[in-house]
Amino acid sequence: MKRAFFSPRSRLAAPLLSVCLLLVALPARSQAPGPGLAWSLGYDPETFDPAKVDDQASELVRYLTAGVLLRVNRATGAVEPSLAESWAVSPDGRTATFHLRRGLLFSDGLPLSAADVAWSIRRVLAQETAAPVAEEFLRPREVSVEAPDAATVIVRLPARLVELDHIFDEVAIEPQNRPSAAQVTAGPFRLAAYQRGQFVRLERNPHYWKHDASGAPLPYLPSLQLDIVASDEQDHLRFARGQYGLLNQPSPDYFNLLARTMPQAAHDLGPSLNTEQLWFNQAPTAPLPAYEKQWFATTAFRVAVSRAIHRADLVRLAYAGHATPAYGFISPANHAWYDPRLEAPHEDVTAARALLASAGFRRAGSGSHPVLLDPTGHPVRFSILTNAGNAPRARMATLIQQDLQALGIETTLVALDFPALMERLMHTQNYEACLLGLANVDPDPNAAMNLWLSSSPNHQWSPSEKVPATPWEKQIDVAMRAQATAPTFAERLRAVKQVQAIVAEQQPFLYLVYPNVLYGVSPALAGVQLSILQPGAVWNIDTLHWAKRKP
Amino acid sequence: MQRLALTLLLLLALSALFLGLRPHASYSAQDREQAAAGASALHPAGTDALGRDRLTRVAVAALLGLTGAVSAATLTTVIAAGVGVLAALGPSFLEGPLLLLCDAFLALPWLFLLMMVRSGMPLGTAPLLSAAATFFILALLGWPACARAVHAGAARMRCADWMTQGRAGGLRTTQLMQWHVLPRLGSLLSPQFLISVPAFLMAEANLGTLGLGVTEPLPSWGSMLLELDHSAVMGGSLWIYLPVVSLVGTLVLLELLVTEEARA
Repeated sequence: MKRAFFSPRSRLAAPLLSVCLLLVALPARSQAPGPGLAWSLGYDPETFDPAKVDDQASELVRYLTAGVLLRVNRATGAVEPSLAESWAVSPDGRTATFHLRRGLLFSDGLPLSAADVAWSIRRVLAQETAAPVAEEFLRPREVSVEAPDAATVIVRLPARLVELDHIFDEVAIEPQNRPSAAQVTAGPFRLAAYQRGQFVRLERNPHYWKHDASGAPLPYLPSLQLDIVASDEQDHLRFARGQYGLLNQPSPDYFNLLARTMPQAAHDLGPSLNTEQLWFNQAPTAPLPAYEKQWFATTAFRVAVSRAIHRADLVRLAYAGHATPAYGFISPANHAWYDPRLEAPHEDVTAARALLASAGFRRAGSGSHPVLLDPTGHPVRFSILTNAGNAPRARMATLIQQDLQALGIETTLVALDFPALMERLMHTQNYEACLLGLANVDPDPNAAMNLWLSSSPNHQWSPSEKVPATPWEKQIDVAMRAQATAPTFAERLRAVKQVQAIVAEQQPFLYLVYPNVLYGVSPALAGVQLSILQPGAVWNIDTLHWAKRKP
Repeated sequence: MQRLALTLLLLLALSALFLGLRPHASYSAQDREQAAAGASALHPAGTDALGRDRLTRVAVAALLGLTGAVSAATLTTVIAAGVGVLAALGPSFLEGPLLLLCDAFLALPWLFLLMMVRSGMPLGTAPLLSAAATFFILALLGWPACARAVHAGAARMRCADWMTQGRAGGLRTTQLMQWHVLPRLGSLLSPQFLISVPAFLMAEANLGTLGLGVTEPLPSWGSMLLELDHSAVMGGSLWIYLPVVSLVGTLVLLELLVTEEARA
């Protein structure tokens, strides 16, 4: 999927074509366009096919290029009309009817009709497409799509779906039978050039449907340049030199440097939806000694380890203060779903020792190097796996290593490159404990179904269970399924709070911190409304402009 | 000059031994209220980002690096001497395969191989053992170039007059090796050994900067250099450069030793 999209011949043709299109577009504008906006992507997009997006870089390109029926406003959370001028969901929640705007065009100037919309949705639902977003329809093969006239699309579902309208924020509308991998779009930008490992360049869609209040066509920015830069150092330097207008989630050290040198450009939005967590391998097939599996399956052991970890120190020393202690899977930034009444497991080494003693563990030795022995006399020692090259995680692991010494637990830290790490997590199951993060793009807990259902391969502590291994995992399964089909928000919230309570009590994941959302934004860039939701600083890309260049 | 370099190196090693092993010194204890602090009576060279005493960590890193590199250089020189001499003076049918083995080892992408081997090690391996394994792997991968040089040197001895005279005089192969060949190869092996020491120090430091060297909490020059990989720390205390200064100083002294040895 990672490839250059233009042959040498069409590389020449594409700029010529874009110059022609710009010449056509210029007379309609009151001023010449300002310069484009540049920032960095950490890695190459896996795909430009909007139906097959499954990684953050591809997701960003899809957001910037795709025309969608409905768009979720990242500032308010409200669903707003986009290509669809209006829509309605039937009372039983099984039928959605969309009415398209008049005069819609694709970026190549050809008309966009209901037939294109129906084709695009059907393509996403089709088994052969293997579109990740299709899973959100739960039973995609049973969904039917009709286009009774040129401006109406009807989607019929086999059962009610929560947040149905949110799904259409991720379904790109493409020309019927002409999928173009983002080169022909109905969104604000289209793909102009891609050089693997170097950059993705997007240019303004001259036929984008949206105009500002004064009638000027949007987007204001003529082009976007997304450089493939994996180095924080380069990213920071280019931002400091003014080559980049945005700095997306810099590491805490660089954010502090930015706050010192360009305080007006540094923005800390507080806790994100993302979590950093530690978990123990509870997979029955893991190649670990039986006594180790017994430790990890013991609730008192997991809770005791959790209570020995000083999360405030993790925040202060590993994240330079730009994180928030975490005790559950829903961040306090997720106001709609966060349960503030859940009791946080305050750090208490004495209580942790008592918990371990109640489970049959005992301490041997004395002084500064006690050793914790399990009920069968085995010393408690395990390794903590994490990915190499992530400084905050490496620091957290080292801090946790010292915290656990207070209980007599000896740990070794292992940093592996990501492919080797994933091999152990997903295939061989050959690890004891792992420290990693989870990026939560969607605030709705329904998006985390694949993490919490015991049958899921992403159920990290014990993937793909044939039946729930414990009663509490069965309770989580039931509650997560209940929230996915409950007709009212109150019922959904009740189910989600139940899951939060079970997770807080059982601690299959030991939540450590919610990293803060950090941005660097050029003071010359106007119209920015920062959001903790992806794509963060550019969610309203069509209205961003350089302060002195706005038409 | 060689004597001065050797004296300074010994002084450096003794200082590291004293500072690293002095009572109450700990390279892993975290004084979390004093994180990233400047020099003080308690921490003469300040602390790192987790509040660990920088002077102790640099001293232990120097001890570990020198011990590991010298041991690895010894091993690699012994292997190289064995393979090179066997190829040159052993049975003739062995020469081709042994030289082919050298070439095969030289052609290996050793960094990836090293990463694979490190990834395949048991996860529970203690930090000191993982450090030893790292240097051991470096030694196992570092001998072929040296073996080629030894082979070339030893091959020239095959037809030497003293060799013919020794054989005619009834000396056994082991006696020839012990009394004549190895002493003559000494002038070749000694610089090879001295060149290997800084090479292994740098290899470990490079692995450390990739996050694949000696594991925490054990300090190494590589892992301490990793703390300096971004400009965000540059405005802090000057003591953060202590690992660089100590590593560069050691490498310069080793370089002086090699140069003088080559001149001699």
